[in-house]
Amino acid sequence: MISGLMVEAVGFEWTAVGEALLNGSVLKPGRWGGTIGVTIPLAMVAIGTIISTKAGLVNIGQEGQLVVGAAFATFASTRVPGPGPFVLLLILLAGVVGGSLWSGIAGGLRYWRKVPEVLTTLLLVAVASNLVGYGLKNPWLLLDPEAKVGNRNLVSEQLPPDTRMPRITLWGNEFPVSAFLAVALILLVGWMLNRTLWGYRLTVVGKNRRVAQRFGISESAQGMIAMLASGGFAGLAGALMLTGGDFANYRLVPGFSVNIGWIGLLVALVANNRASAVIPMAFVFAGLRTGSGFLASTGIERRVTDVVQGLMVLALLLPPAIMFIRERRRALASARSRV
Amino acid sequence: MGPPPAVCTRLLSKNFGAVAACDAVDIEIHRGEIHGILGENGAGKSTLMKMLIGLVVPDSGSILVDGSSVQIPDPVVAASLGIGMVHQHFSLVEALTVWENVALGDEGRLSRTAVRSAVGDLSERYGLHVDPDARVADLPVGLRQRVEIIKCLRREPSILIFDEPTSVLTPEESDELFRSLRGVVEQEGRSVALVSHKLTEMLEVTDRVTIMRNGTVVECCVTAETDAGALARAMVGRDVRLRSAEQAPPVPGGYGVRSGSAERPPVLEFRHVEVRESGGSMELDDLTFDLRAGEILGVAGVEGNGQRVIADLLSGLRSQSRGEIAVSGVTVDVSRHGATIEAGIAVIPEDRHDSGIVLEMTVAENLMLSDPSGLSSRGVIDRAGVDEMSRDLIDRFAIMCTGPDAPMWTLSGGNQQRVVLAREITAAPKVLVAAQPTRGLDVGAIEYVTDQLRQVAASGVGILLMSSELDEILELADRIVVIYRGRMTGEMTRSAASREKIGLLMGGDQL
Amino acid sequence: MGDLFSAIWDVGTTETAYTAAARFAVVLAFAAAGEWVAERAGTLNISVEAMILGGAFAAAMGYHATGSVAVGLVLGAIAGAVVASVQAQMSHRLTADQFVVGLTLNILVLGIVGFLESEWKPSTRTASVVEVPLLVDIPLIGPALFGQPWPFYLIYLVVPLFAWLVHRTRWGLEVRSVGENPQAADVSGIDVNRRRRQSIYLGGLSAGLGGGYLLLGQVGRFDPGIVAGRGFIALVAVIFGGWTLRGAIFGCLLFGSVLSFRLTLPGLGYELNNEMLSSLPSLVTIAAMAVFAHAVRQPEALARPFIRGLK
Repeated sequence: MISGLMVEAVGFEWTAVGEALLNGSVLKPGRWGGTIGVTIPLAMVAIGTIISTKAGLVNIGQEGQLVVGAAFATFASTRVPGPGPFVLLLILLAGVVGGSLWSGIAGGLRYWRKVPEVLTTLLLVAVASNLVGYGLKNPWLLLDPEAKVGNRNLVSEQLPPDTRMPRITLWGNEFPVSAFLAVALILLVGWMLNRTLWGYRLTVVGKNRRVAQRFGISESAQGMIAMLASGGFAGLAGALMLTGGDFANYRLVPGFSVNIGWIGLLVALVANNRASAVIPMAFVFAGLRTGSGFLASTGIERRVTDVVQGLMVLALLLPPAIMFIRERRRALASARSRV
Repeated sequence: MGPPPAVCTRLLSKNFGAVAACDAVDIEIHRGEIHGILGENGAGKSTLMKMLIGLVVPDSGSILVDGSSVQIPDPVVAASLGIGMVHQHFSLVEALTVWENVALGDEGRLSRTAVRSAVGDLSERYGLHVDPDARVADLPVGLRQRVEIIKCLRREPSILIFDEPTSVLTPEESDELFRSLRGVVEQEGRSVALVSHKLTEMLEVTDRVTIMRNGTVVECCVTAETDAGALARAMVGRDVRLRSAEQAPPVPGGYGVRSGSAERPPVLEFRHVEVRESGGSMELDDLTFDLRAGEILGVAGVEGNGQRVIADLLSGLRSQSRGEIAVSGVTVDVSRHGATIEAGIAVIPEDRHDSGIVLEMTVAENLMLSDPSGLSSRGVIDRAGVDEMSRDLIDRFAIMCTGPDAPMWTLSGGNQQRVVLAREITAAPKVLVAAQPTRGLDVGAIEYVTDQLRQVAASGVGILLMSSELDEILELADRIVVIYRGRMTGEMTRSAASREKIGLLMGGDQL
Repeated sequence: MGDLFSAIWDVGTTETAYTAAARFAVVLAFAAAGEWVAERAGTLNISVEAMILGGAFAAAMGYHATGSVAVGLVLGAIAGAVVASVQAQMSHRLTADQFVVGLTLNILVLGIVGFLESEWKPSTRTASVVEVPLLVDIPLIGPALFGQPWPFYLIYLVVPLFAWLVHRTRWGLEVRSVGENPQAADVSGIDVNRRRRQSIYLGGLSAGLGGGYLLLGQVGRFDPGIVAGRGFIALVAVIFGGWTLRGAIFGCLLFGSVLSFRLTLPGLGYELNNEMLSSLPSLVTIAAMAVFAHAVRQPEALARPFIRGLK
């Protein structure tokens, strides 16, 4: 409604906005391929966040972990010789390592010095973007040696064609095959959280630390693993963004992350930390992003998508909140125990 | 016609979902009397009191104060009507000082001097001495209760509600409390509602008693005209084997085992164990004792004197600063992850919500806690196996729930305790630590747990029973040690024990 | 390395360095003082960034419309309070996750402000400097503390006011109790969520005022990127200060100084590793927390929503 008012102020009907968003994201031919391309990293960040949340941790540094992962991936791409597919694999692994490293710092500080990870992960985001910015100024790190200095073109080398993620075309839409990888990973993680000993122990740690301690489950071991996994997924998202082609054309550029880290975190929160809801929610947010490209063509400022996104999230917060209250009331009623 | 009762309720009802916590409750509390509200857990006493104090809003019925009908939507209104409650928990802010806590809830300008002198006044008048500038976090439980009482009395309530006040007091302190209550009631014409599940307290202290069961009032009588048996019958609805130390029934074949246990080797030994608190004070001080196989060793003491610490040590939740703990002669390093479980120590914790169960997980998942790897192969949990094990235990221990996948929070307190029991007992431990195992349970559940503990002891497990309920210790224990401020103040066999002796030791006297 | 030492020396002895540092720190201080109150009541309010931004924009519009700095500042404070109301109502009446609300507000307000700015294009300039006679002549720090545009001096009112409010009034006592033990406060008859909401409003007013100062007292020209993370740094300062107002203000001074070096050092002829400098506040805070975290006490109920009947 507010966005409607804003749009009114500029003299357009808000249905045009909605239409443009839908057209841009899925309806017009070939568009939903692009949306899938954005869904992939969002989903990866989200599933990683779910792992750390299950362990009872608050990781809000995905934006930083993603960028460090992308940087590691870029570095690997320029330094590792070998056949294309092999290098591609290494690039992805480098992304995972980078992201894990970054979240691992926060994890280490939490378990060795009791510093709350909500703070360290947040602070590390700023450090990460500065670090990568520095890397992009130096040819011996990330900068493309052939970048025209006068142009202030601080970008990395473009990935050679054989190390890029192959793309397939399905029903007229083109998207990277990493989509299937993403789906597979989400299914795997979901299954692991539910069905394995590891997932069980992780859940206990997240729900009740004292019980975990009583039964010999090491909170620090489980928590560290969760942090590393969470950062690893964010880093993987960064590497996928680099190799996927839907962002910055296979280069690492300043501002590379374009808030995918933050939005991925939002996806996890809005999906109520359920693995099954990750892909649909990631798709919605991805749709908003790709759809906003079309908005420009209707003459409405791009910023409106930010607003719509924001309002949407706020609106989405209400039903879970209400359900939560109802569930807890039920719990109170039937739990007649006194502590 | 005499004066109207200080407070009375007519057909007061409250439902939580499908459960009727209070069903058409009629009670009358007269001026100048100490009125007991007796009932098991879940009987509705706390809900009733919460309605009087404004924390819960009734669904139907009416409340009358001094004869006129009133609405009590929140604690502020309750206070203005002269109803005050001394809470057990949740009423003091630890980080603030005594005077700040007392001032909380007042209106008008905050004046440190005024509040401090008011605290001093009340301390004098009622003999409840406490330092107004002390931080509540630094005060022991007994003193905190005093602050609660002062806070309540300050509002000059005409009706004081006490909710289970003696659980944190020694027998002497309880007596003192009741003496001051009697004074308050007689000299100043106030009324006191004493909520409790302790029969002996009711008989000793109250003028009249209302008994509640399952949300309704079962009976209301004059205390002088009734006895423990009648009260218990009314509370439970059937004849109940009362906890009476002299009548401890013989366990089939068990007595023989237990009485000969002095010659058996110890399954648990504490040798000069010391636990130092971060502030420097000693929580356990040179504690040395041993526990034999098949023996029930009762550790008596008022809450807060070290029982919790012992349980935490044996749960692997804390570690000692000095001294050794050994199981069957082998030293156990409790600070190592999982060491206590490996050593064969099972624990029924004092607060199952804190370290015994995970409320959000299912019954099956809770039952699995002691050995999840035993139920998985190569990292994957064997669902069928877990299900089978859970159903078996649910059956054997008569756990009332909708099945292994029922979330833990849907079970009643008694059934949650059964889950804990089931899990700990079937882990085939050498030592079973039972910390306040029957607290918060109704009489039926208490009987069940007591029987289970006896059976477990009969099978050769050493039981460390920690309780602040003397009756429980006197009924179950073969040997008794008493703990006060982290030190052992006395040790005796059951036959040599008496309530008076133990009571004194609990308060710090040495044998 | 020798460079580093001479750099520090130069900075420590140059007046302009202090002035720039003070200016930077004050924006942080406005926001941090308000956030301190909100966190003492138990809310971890990430939308500080949005509050400052809203304040800055509203101040810009106010000045653009009336030409008065005072009007701009007032509008700035109000705008901050409006953002605060969303955070407050959603977190403490509708039980939404305060975290998500905060994050979302940052995005939302950025979007709204960016959009409106491109439509309405306010034009502004900085307020004029007002010097306090005598005091401004104190060497080195005089101009920094007493020779600034007049909105700067408001901080000297705000900080002691907030300290008094929280530590000496009944309202403050209730706010503190609500952040430590909301159940106890509730049982004592205090409306927990109402106090929490009020503390967030106060935070919004202050942060919005800070935004107004940022625009009219420091930068002079509005741009959607004007806040550049100051809100987050203010948040960090509160935590860095161990939830004491003194500590938070110290944190603001520390971080403000470090961040202002970005502006002063090049002026003194030093080549900067820009990125290193920008990360310095974060790195310093991390290091400080690693060393001190165990000694610091946070309000017990921080970031835990209160619903009567639940523990």
